[in-house]
Amino acid sequence: MQHDIETNPAAAPWASVLHAGTAAVALGLCAGLFASGAQAQAGTPIKIGFNTELTGPWTFFGNSCVAGLKMASEEINKAGGVLGRPLEFVIVDNQTSPTQAVAASRNLDVNDKVVALSGPTNSDTALAIYGYAEQQKLPYLVPVAAFPQLTKPGTRYTFRIEPDAAGWGYSLARFIEERKPGARIAMMYSDAALMRAVVAGFKYQAPRSKLNIVADILFPQGSSDATVQAAQVRAANPDYVILMGAGAFDNVLNNQLLDLGVKPEQMIHPFAMTTMIFGWGQRSAGSIYGTFFDHGLDGLTREGKDFIARFDAANNRPPSYVENYCYNTPYIFREALQLAGSADREKLRDAFTRLKTREITSGIPIVFDKNGARKEYIYFMQIVSVDGKRTYKSKQIHYAEWDADDIPVYELVK
Amino acid sequence: MSDATLLVLASTLSTGLILGAIFALVAAGVTIVYGCVWLPNASNGQFFLLAALAAWSLVGVGWSSAAAIIGVLVLGIALSLLIEWVLVRRLYDVPDRNVAYFVVTLGLTQIMSGIFAMSWGLWSDQFTLPPLVDGITMIGPFPMTNNRITVLAIALVVLAVLFGALRYHPYGRALRAVFQNREAAALRGVNVRAIYRLSFLLGSSIIFLGGMLFALAYSFDLTVAWTMSVTAFAIMIVGGPGSVLGALVVGMVFGFTQAVVSIFASPTAATFSYLIAMLAMLLFRPSGLFTR
Repeated sequence: MQHDIETNPAAAPWASVLHAGTAAVALGLCAGLFASGAQAQAGTPIKIGFNTELTGPWTFFGNSCVAGLKMASEEINKAGGVLGRPLEFVIVDNQTSPTQAVAASRNLDVNDKVVALSGPTNSDTALAIYGYAEQQKLPYLVPVAAFPQLTKPGTRYTFRIEPDAAGWGYSLARFIEERKPGARIAMMYSDAALMRAVVAGFKYQAPRSKLNIVADILFPQGSSDATVQAAQVRAANPDYVILMGAGAFDNVLNNQLLDLGVKPEQMIHPFAMTTMIFGWGQRSAGSIYGTFFDHGLDGLTREGKDFIARFDAANNRPPSYVENYCYNTPYIFREALQLAGSADREKLRDAFTRLKTREITSGIPIVFDKNGARKEYIYFMQIVSVDGKRTYKSKQIHYAEWDADDIPVYELVK
Repeated sequence: MSDATLLVLASTLSTGLILGAIFALVAAGVTIVYGCVWLPNASNGQFFLLAALAAWSLVGVGWSSAAAIIGVLVLGIALSLLIEWVLVRRLYDVPDRNVAYFVVTLGLTQIMSGIFAMSWGLWSDQFTLPPLVDGITMIGPFPMTNNRITVLAIALVVLAVLFGALRYHPYGRALRAVFQNREAAALRGVNVRAIYRLSFLLGSSIIFLGGMLFALAYSFDLTVAWTMSVTAFAIMIVGGPGSVLGALVVGMVFGFTQAVVSIFASPTAATFSYLIAMLAMLLFRPSGLFTR
């Protein structure tokens, strides 16, 4: 019967469309290769494997990341590349699958002979690549993954740009302590590695900050409704509600709390991307979110403002921390390669350990500790207004820095 | 009874009703197609998601939610006709066609998943439709949005009309006759292939509507397709393949089970509680509760 379907004239229009689409993609790829070849510098490119989530549940994050990455790598190559050679990111799709992420890493290592790996925006795939990179002694710069074990003691080849998630929870408790000593806290979160790590950090610090957790509700992934739990939270009468839902469930939590009369000012999202804020909408004006980059930051550099304007023009929305970290990734590689003086893997790894640079967009220092973790930091922002799906206004209300070992991160999250 | 207790009770009732009604609607769509055509449509979750995403896109270009729902239903009927013409009808007379259908629709699921990832997946990680109706209605201390009341009302009305039409309309009776015995129905003059087409159109349209009602009541992302697909199959198995009454009753029971278990145990236990019911049903009454 499959034969019938393939040869059926009724299928011909679809086949034509598919062929036309394939041809267009092929032409596009050829055009892209031609364009990148036209501006390449002398010498063979320095290849870096960019193993990210272009399909699967994390599609949006992987593609957003690549949008930021491409902007920076083009800028670097236009400015002469690194060590007189073009910097080439070999972008591959890991399908948001740890198994596929390892297979892709091996292919990048063995066939493309990349000098380093980078790319994941998901802790599960990042952990899978971590195992490969550490075993094969391949430098690995993680742009967006916050699970603490990526930089556990003994890590040698992995370096992480994003602060670890347990630290977000820790700093959140300290932030609330400053705003309202003895506050009553409700927590609603999805059962995902990232959220569990944030909660672990918060629960570690909460008693030390004398915060009172009055509701602690975990939702499995795939949950679609939280009305009952929102009512329980409302009945517990908290001062603040910390909410983190996986995917669209985040918006469900937000809306159902607001529907039940919880005020936006009581709601704290430990992290936010632009699309999440669009989803929360204007009715969330006044609520608080944590982030590592935002177009409403006070301390944006000239390059940061320029990045925001160009990203916005190209993508019809301001970038968030995901795009920012991926935009900074090529610049961090450039700095490290220049410090290493060659594209040798061991020299590059040593260069990462000695690197003292800053995020080009915000000026925040980038220094990796002995485990490859960065000096931790977080901004807390407050939503001022949300203009549909195009933009939003926010104001910076708090900034905190701390060392990764200020809390027992690797004991809190195994 | 304190206001806090009433608030939690009313919210449980609201969640059970809305989830139950949407589950029942989607399961009714799935069970009509399976019961009549013997088509276990593995891509029903993708149909559900496609409708929600298409409505989201139409709203994005300036349509109201109501107009988007009507527009997507019209497009959905056209798409169902196309799929029936290109894929489904070719297997009507194949022996053991349920296996062939399952494989074909699994392929369709993969294709649709890929298309979603390469299109909507690039634009956002979460989607929602603006409310059909603004405002809230107080049910005791519980503020229920008028939008969710409207969603519930639409779902219940559609289920009632569907149930009535299948029972009393000549086409509905013909459809049920084919459910029960297609050879006997054919001998009585029923155009079996036309009824197959009708049931595929009807079932798919109901799934499309379910997707859009879900998008009105909740935010969603691309993972909802899998969740809804498993839930709809579970309801169909417990209720009895081909039984709209079974879909309605079991859908409501599943909705309330989720709401009640989530409060007395945990939301985690709620998500698999109804699957345990499905397994028990497969062990003790494999033909389902409402199968004749």
